[in-house]
Amino acid sequence: MSKEKPFPEYKRKLGPGWWLANSHFTQYMIREWTSFFVAVFSLIYIYELSLFASGARADALNLLKNPGVIAFNVLALLFTLYHAFTWFYLIGKVQPIKMGKTTSKPWQALLVNIVLLLIVSFAVIEILVLR
Amino acid sequence: MPKVARLHAILWGVFSVGGFIAAFLLPVLIYIFGIAYPLGLWPISGQDPTTSILNHHHLGTMFLFVTVAGSLYHGIYRFQSTLTELGLARAKRALEALGYLIVIVGILAVAYYLLMLNPGVLSLP
Repeated sequence: MSKEKPFPEYKRKLGPGWWLANSHFTQYMIREWTSFFVAVFSLIYIYELSLFASGARADALNLLKNPGVIAFNVLALLFTLYHAFTWFYLIGKVQPIKMGKTTSKPWQALLVNIVLLLIVSFAVIEILVLR
Repeated sequence: MPKVARLHAILWGVFSVGGFIAAFLLPVLIYIFGIAYPLGLWPISGQDPTTSILNHHHLGTMFLFVTVAGSLYHGIYRFQSTLTELGLARAKRALEALGYLIVIVGILAVAYYLLMLNPGVLSLP
């Protein structure tokens, strides 16, 4: 096959604010920004582990009680839950399950996975924190 | 034969698994570690959650490794892609390189610190 394209490729130029053009784009961008909170929380936790490992346990725990860190963690939880719920909904959209003549709907996948999330979270607390 | 982007497919697969981990395991870690402990909410009573989790040796250590490493990979992979959609498309290669560097160093660091905190995790149960 020739590498030459039969017609010139149209490359649409997008400005940094393209995602404000309609609500679907805005929702998409909010969903993408959940990754910022997921990544930064992971990096903060790695830093906490480094303090624990180096014996600076008191510093690690003081950092956790910093109001700014608590506020960030509340935001991180909200964005992570937004990531989780939209991820569950997408699973139902991308991989609907056929049962006889009916096909599962995305909101059903969302509900089932929210129940699973609650079970998993409770199991983690019960097994790893309360015991 | 069309060229198959196997490496890209594998990396995307790992990213997808990281998405599941961030969805199912990360919320509870953020809650117990970042909110319940500093504010004294249920289920924390006294001991900090990291120490409680690590007291469960293998299971607790595996939980922390899988959750933090999987979430870090997923978060960084998607965030660098988001930045390219916000006007940094020209820096795509540099962002990818920086992203993978953070992921590799981060995952190695999690493994190293967890091994330091719980050296017995490598021994058979």
